[in-house]
Amino acid sequence: MPTINVYKWRLLNELKINESKLEDLLFNLKSEMKPIDQDHIEIEINNDRPDLLFIYGIIRSIKGLLKKELGEAKYPVKNSEYLFEVKEVKSRPYALAAIIEGIKLDEELLKELIQFQEKLHITIGRKRKKVAIGIHDLRKIDSKKILYTTVNLDYKFVPLNSSKEMTVKEVLESTDQGKEYGSISLFDSKMPAIMQDDGQILSLPPVINSEKTRLGTSTTDLFIDVTGTSLDAVISTLDILVTNLAEMGGKIGEVRIISPYTDKSPILRHSKVNISIEYVNKVLGTQIQKQDVIEYLKMARFDVNDLGNELEVIIPPYRSDILAQIDLTEEVAMTIGYSYLSPSAYKIETIGSLSDKTKITRVIRDLSIGASFTEIFTFVLTNDSLLNDEYVKIVNPITVDYDAIRNSLIPTMLLFLSKNQHSRMPIRVFEVGEGIVKSKDSETGYKNKLNVVYAIMDSKVSFENLQSPVHYILTSLGLNVEYKKEKNNYLIEGRTAGIYSQDKMIGVIGEIKPEILEKLKIEYPIVISEIYLDEIKKLM
Amino acid sequence: MLSENEVKILEYLKKVKEDTAENISKQLNISIDTVFSVSQLLKEKGYISVEEKKITKYELTEEGKERLKNGLPEEILVNTLGGKEAKIQDIRNKIEKDFEIALGWAKRKGLIKIEKDTLIPLVEHYEAKDEREALLKPEYARKEILQELLSRKFIIKREEKTSYLKLIKEEIEIKPGITFLTPQLLASGEWKKYSLREYNVEAYPPFYPLGRKHFFKEFLERLKNVMKELGFKEFYSDYIEMEFYNFDLLFQAQDHPAREIHDSFSISGEGKLPDEKLVEKVKEMHENGWKYKWDRKIATRLMLRSQTTATTARILASRPTPPLRAFTIGKVFRPDSIDATHLIEFHQLDGLVVEDNFTFRDLLGTLKEIFNGIGIKEIKFKPAYFPFTEPSVEVYGKIEGLGWVEMSGAGLLRPEILKAVEVNSSAGAWGIGIDRLAMLLFGLKDIRLLYANDIEYLRNRKVDINAYD
Repeated sequence: MPTINVYKWRLLNELKINESKLEDLLFNLKSEMKPIDQDHIEIEINNDRPDLLFIYGIIRSIKGLLKKELGEAKYPVKNSEYLFEVKEVKSRPYALAAIIEGIKLDEELLKELIQFQEKLHITIGRKRKKVAIGIHDLRKIDSKKILYTTVNLDYKFVPLNSSKEMTVKEVLESTDQGKEYGSISLFDSKMPAIMQDDGQILSLPPVINSEKTRLGTSTTDLFIDVTGTSLDAVISTLDILVTNLAEMGGKIGEVRIISPYTDKSPILRHSKVNISIEYVNKVLGTQIQKQDVIEYLKMARFDVNDLGNELEVIIPPYRSDILAQIDLTEEVAMTIGYSYLSPSAYKIETIGSLSDKTKITRVIRDLSIGASFTEIFTFVLTNDSLLNDEYVKIVNPITVDYDAIRNSLIPTMLLFLSKNQHSRMPIRVFEVGEGIVKSKDSETGYKNKLNVVYAIMDSKVSFENLQSPVHYILTSLGLNVEYKKEKNNYLIEGRTAGIYSQDKMIGVIGEIKPEILEKLKIEYPIVISEIYLDEIKKLM
Repeated sequence: MLSENEVKILEYLKKVKEDTAENISKQLNISIDTVFSVSQLLKEKGYISVEEKKITKYELTEEGKERLKNGLPEEILVNTLGGKEAKIQDIRNKIEKDFEIALGWAKRKGLIKIEKDTLIPLVEHYEAKDEREALLKPEYARKEILQELLSRKFIIKREEKTSYLKLIKEEIEIKPGITFLTPQLLASGEWKKYSLREYNVEAYPPFYPLGRKHFFKEFLERLKNVMKELGFKEFYSDYIEMEFYNFDLLFQAQDHPAREIHDSFSISGEGKLPDEKLVEKVKEMHENGWKYKWDRKIATRLMLRSQTTATTARILASRPTPPLRAFTIGKVFRPDSIDATHLIEFHQLDGLVVEDNFTFRDLLGTLKEIFNGIGIKEIKFKPAYFPFTEPSVEVYGKIEGLGWVEMSGAGLLRPEILKAVEVNSSAGAWGIGIDRLAMLLFGLKDIRLLYANDIEYLRNRKVDINAYD
């Protein structure tokens, strides 16, 4: 979940509440806060609420919960003289723009604004792939007409935080942003660019802005561009940005757009969702009156029209997360506060049962304990150097210690034993666990395999030391067991048996080959047995 | 209880009353060291007295042995003369060796006389009877003879200590002791002839490798019991999963950050999607809800499941008929750096209730009951966001000394999902992370201890009776 760092005092002063009250209110907005220093707090924001990624979105929501302001926060929009022309940009076709005037940015707020932009890039923007934002100092733009187009790699401009002119190619190759985001929208050796009609680049989406329009604490007016691959996401992002800045006191200026999809922006999109009181109460298990539902929705900053049987809820531009009446139902529940929704008394109405896997696992564990084996618990993921036959490798492991999935419990057991050579002997251990093997019958081509493995390590061990307990565990299950000579990569030839029941191989038993012991630096002999519980289950 | 050797010695002493340790050793064929140690034990037990005595011993020297064999010099001299006078010089030439010694002792014993250069025998024949007897049995010899033999260096004298064992307790029933009762002894009744030797019962026993269940596995089984007792049916599915079940069916957009490669383990290969109708409905759900072009190829990608909600998705895909209460407990896998609080494979408990009129408050009540069963008595609910539930809730549980800890994510399944799987009632679902919860409940400082590969840690762990609540 994204987190934002916030100058605490602005939040407390604007809302006129204390810190613990703030914490409670944030909790009801799905958010948690923790202190960073005397003046700053960190707030965790859920992915469905990008409007809360800036302090003024939080203020708008909390004002509703405190009933300081109810219903939709509406912001006036005035025409501006600016024109934004969208040319064909194949790799990143959609772009919108807006003006914000009359804001005051101090150091803290400037930092938070840039943080807002970055968090939007990560969340809605999908790391700038879907959406990228450029925020410019409007006063530093020299033309009223701005273009969204593409430029060649030898096109020159001064990128942000640089003092010299660079080609686009140099920017992509030598700046941090260029290296990280340069490949996203590079297409046909052309980069998308936002430029003045005189050709001066303002930004190179989704990579970097120009130094020319850099923001500072003296900035009062903004030009905002949003580009992306999804028109829907571009619209929402710009709406969320401008409504947040308007909540902060800015005036929204509308930009004329030349594009196939709109002729002006921001769109400030509204939608309507109808909701019935019956539905709310049915979902929540409550008996809330209509007037209260209306009140709660207004506290959640929605405008509501009473249609009699239903309510018509107007979804404001900053709440693109609301898709259907279930989402509004959650808004009602959150506004009430989950702590005020009393949990229903639990009623047992069905008969519980355990899976066959659990049942056989429990039986085997009990019998194994009875045979004086201590249970161990190892990982399914392991290093592939000990695995034999067909096994599954992880495409993107994070460490070589865990780069494959076991297909047998023998290797993980051997690794366990290798780490216990200085313990008190004898070591008698077992594990019931799963590995993965190929399977033609499964949708994925693989299936889990439930096995139990037994091992005895001591200064002297024999085949029979282990065969006896294993044999009597198996016969306890009502199985007729036979042993046949067998070969196995882990086991000494001539001291290895396949364990059979009704002509099915249900396991293997034998002594570990000295070359394997040597490889694992194990200085004690080991006798081991693995039993295939899926096979046994079929015979029972 | 008396040992075999103790009994042997006592029985011998019963006959002879007393004897030296050496003699007993010789007679009973027991090593002298054993006789000494056993006599000490018998003395402590009050059966015998042991007295240390000095005894004098004489041993023949090499010369003594030689004289005994070839004759004493004076014997040789007298017997050479054979009762006839002879010139000293002639006899000296004849005898040569030890002539002076022979002359001296023969004169002293009055066996010869010397007149000028002539030896005159006073006896015809001589045998040194006393000396010979004394050499054979020095301990019975007369004092003056011993003195003579000593002065002539035929013998040497040695002082030795020996133990005298003397029976002092006559009335004893002596039984040999044994260590093991055997079936033969019991069957024949011969056990009556033996006494059972005492053990050092106060000593610690040798190591015994006890069979013990793994504490964390046992915890997982206990959770299954909690769910079963609440009327839930257990389900399971495999570790390798298609993204379709891990994400798509759960309304997780295909470009959602949680679906990026570094957030789950990928497996090469491609799965086969289930029935086309379901696939179509899932596609429709994504395209209407998230407004993008859904790609079935992405849905068939394989991965190690990152949540047991994949099992819930499979249950849903089977279009269950209500009422259903289902749960699963299993492993999930997520790339992370492994440390004291993070593992790359861990467990989740996922639950699903499909029931007509199952409400959000019912869901909260169910969660409360489950956590109560786990042992978390105090919980609180926080609004939350998950793509597949609405309303969504996070459960926080109170842990002694730690405060509120996030334990579960839950919610009512979104209507879009229920529509896609054609379930015509409401449903609630949740997932509980188990390993971190277990770590807190067991009071472990390091989550890796749940999978400790040190057997001594497992052997020495205290068993908590409350774990079997």
